[in-house]
Amino acid sequence: MKSTRCLLQLVLSGRTAARINELLLSPATSRLSVLHNQQQQALRHFRCSPASAKSRPVPARSVDEDKTNSTKSLATQEDLFEQVPEESKTKATFNQVIDVFTKRDIRRRGHVEFIYAALKKMSEFGVEKDLSVYNKLLDVFPKEVFVPRNYIQRMFNHYPRQQECGVQILEQMESYGIMPNVETKVLLVQIFGEKSHPPLPEDPVDLARLSLTRIANDLDSKITVYQLPCTDITESGEEIQLPHIVGIQSPSQMELLAKHNPNKPVFVEGPFPLWLRKTCVHYYLLRADPTPPEEKEEEVYDPERCFDYPLQLDLDLDRDLGDDESFDVDDLDEGPVFAMCMTSQGDQVTLNQWISGLQQNNPILGKVPTLFRLDAGIQELQAAAQPEPGHSHPPHPETQREDPQSDEDPEAVEEEESRRSHGMKQ
Amino acid sequence: MSLPKISRVPASRLLSAVHDPRWPLRSAAPLAVPKRALTQSGYRRPGQPREDKPPWQRIKFDFSKGLEGITKHFKLLRQEFSDRLVGPEGKPIIEHMLEQNRVIWEFRGPDSLQEWTLSSDREIGGQSEIHLKLGKNNETCFLYGTLQSAPPRDGETRYSGYCSMRSKQPLVSFDRKKHHDWSSFNTLHLRIRGDGRPWMVNIAAESYFTHQKDDLYSYFLYTRGGPYWQDVKIPFSKFFLTHRGRIQDNQHPLWLDKVNTIGFTLGDKADGPFQLEIDFIGVCKDYAHTEDFAYEVYKRNPEV
Repeated sequence: MKSTRCLLQLVLSGRTAARINELLLSPATSRLSVLHNQQQQALRHFRCSPASAKSRPVPARSVDEDKTNSTKSLATQEDLFEQVPEESKTKATFNQVIDVFTKRDIRRRGHVEFIYAALKKMSEFGVEKDLSVYNKLLDVFPKEVFVPRNYIQRMFNHYPRQQECGVQILEQMESYGIMPNVETKVLLVQIFGEKSHPPLPEDPVDLARLSLTRIANDLDSKITVYQLPCTDITESGEEIQLPHIVGIQSPSQMELLAKHNPNKPVFVEGPFPLWLRKTCVHYYLLRADPTPPEEKEEEVYDPERCFDYPLQLDLDLDRDLGDDESFDVDDLDEGPVFAMCMTSQGDQVTLNQWISGLQQNNPILGKVPTLFRLDAGIQELQAAAQPEPGHSHPPHPETQREDPQSDEDPEAVEEEESRRSHGMKQ
Repeated sequence: MSLPKISRVPASRLLSAVHDPRWPLRSAAPLAVPKRALTQSGYRRPGQPREDKPPWQRIKFDFSKGLEGITKHFKLLRQEFSDRLVGPEGKPIIEHMLEQNRVIWEFRGPDSLQEWTLSSDREIGGQSEIHLKLGKNNETCFLYGTLQSAPPRDGETRYSGYCSMRSKQPLVSFDRKKHHDWSSFNTLHLRIRGDGRPWMVNIAAESYFTHQKDDLYSYFLYTRGGPYWQDVKIPFSKFFLTHRGRIQDNQHPLWLDKVNTIGFTLGDKADGPFQLEIDFIGVCKDYAHTEDFAYEVYKRNPEV
């Protein structure tokens, strides 16, 4: 029967019940499938997807082309092996069966069942202790499809059935006492990936993006790349490398910054270390001192903001000792963090660029004095930075970020000193 | 028997004694076999000679320190008696029965740092360092240092590079051991701010047999890094049993009625500086957590 194209025609052509069942079982709309008939022609039906074909049993094919079957019942993959006559069950025929399967379909549908069936039939063919046969069986897996590409895929056991199948092959090898060789390892790596953990991105901008999303507390944070690494030619004609600047800020941080008192300065602090497996990157913060308790305003809830339920209740209820779920510790108020950034060169010029980039979305930064508190020792600092309008003094060298503020520079802006001497430390 | 009877000398002694000109004169003193078994004598750095002093020779006597000690211990004893009058463990009984959260360690002053011991692989000859100080505003503890995983060149050690902070065993008057009783809780709650490195939390419980001395119950502590604080809640049912660093096959849950110490270890083979800030460590009772133990208790390789 020549290739038929639509479902109706197939029914009319009088195909076997098995085929019809398969077609009807696959739930409707817009999927493609390939079925084989006995004459080795691929029938393409536009209703079934390739994905579902994996779980469906593929009708048996004969190794020797003259044999034909009437596929009246659901045929399993094992039939492929069973069709080989008893006398000729050798390694060569086993390999031939595998070849038939791999050549039949470029997408290798149903390979998991095929491999399970093959594992079971190995002892009949007498090849269960042969490493080359196992390698050939591993070759049946399509390569590079199951390699996890990001940490979410890796976390959720990407393609678990295939992984289980691979483990089953290895387990059978182990029970027969066969040592895998380099080829096995190469195959496994090609199929399932180098490690189950994808490598960190090499590109610094990507790495910065990944780490900033990791340390941001808010899923709504947006990453902005203010500058990509490039070379720039200055007036004197020399080439300088401009570093990448990647920043992150969430909408709630933007709100907090908008509410910040313009008389109080904001600090650019850094660089702080962040370890990602074996690499250490550094990030910078834009933050402010915590507001002292006397200046804290109570947030007034607008009752018309939400009509579904009241935002404030005036009830005087207390929790019993057995229901109290909070720990008896004082809350640490360390001041709000407004934005974070990562850059390879942490000097004031680069950070100024970051601030000016932030200023586009947060106009208050133009009015608020910004202090730079950068650690010496890790980055090279400019000897004397030019004071810019609205920005303050050159970086204060510190050995560790945790030094108490009172030890710091006497050259700070005067309003700073008076405020800082009172333990309003961060 | 024509041959004279030659005294048997162990082979190791022969080797070491080849260089010793006084060999014939030395009496058969114990050479390299310690009197106490290996597990009891504590760690001996490879290359250092073994000390075999009998216990009575190890005590040092000092009068003024002795007087201080006596006053301190009697004060503690008096405190203990008065605590019993208030209720179990010094709290009224209703509080002891109903409490859902208890803050065990809180770093709010320099005295809180005295409860902790630091150790790194410097003791075995490595180059890692670890230091502890109070964080900003004296409100948190700041653990920092450098990790170096180059093993010391003493011929014996193969791996190195670890740093750890461990709480001291709580003591009652006269240096008697006191145990933490966390049997009414089931979760460990930590508020930390790390730098992205993976740490390990180890809990040591009181054991009966001496070969259980190095039993630790561990679990991982992955820090996120960044400027925000991280609340970590680890149920006690997730802690698995390790002995001297090796995970054991026969697992059992941690018994919470006699907990001795808790510790944090870093050994992630990434050389470089590290830091960890801890705000407080507490235990709480999570009613939603009903698991007894997270790992299989049946025998994995049963003998038939």
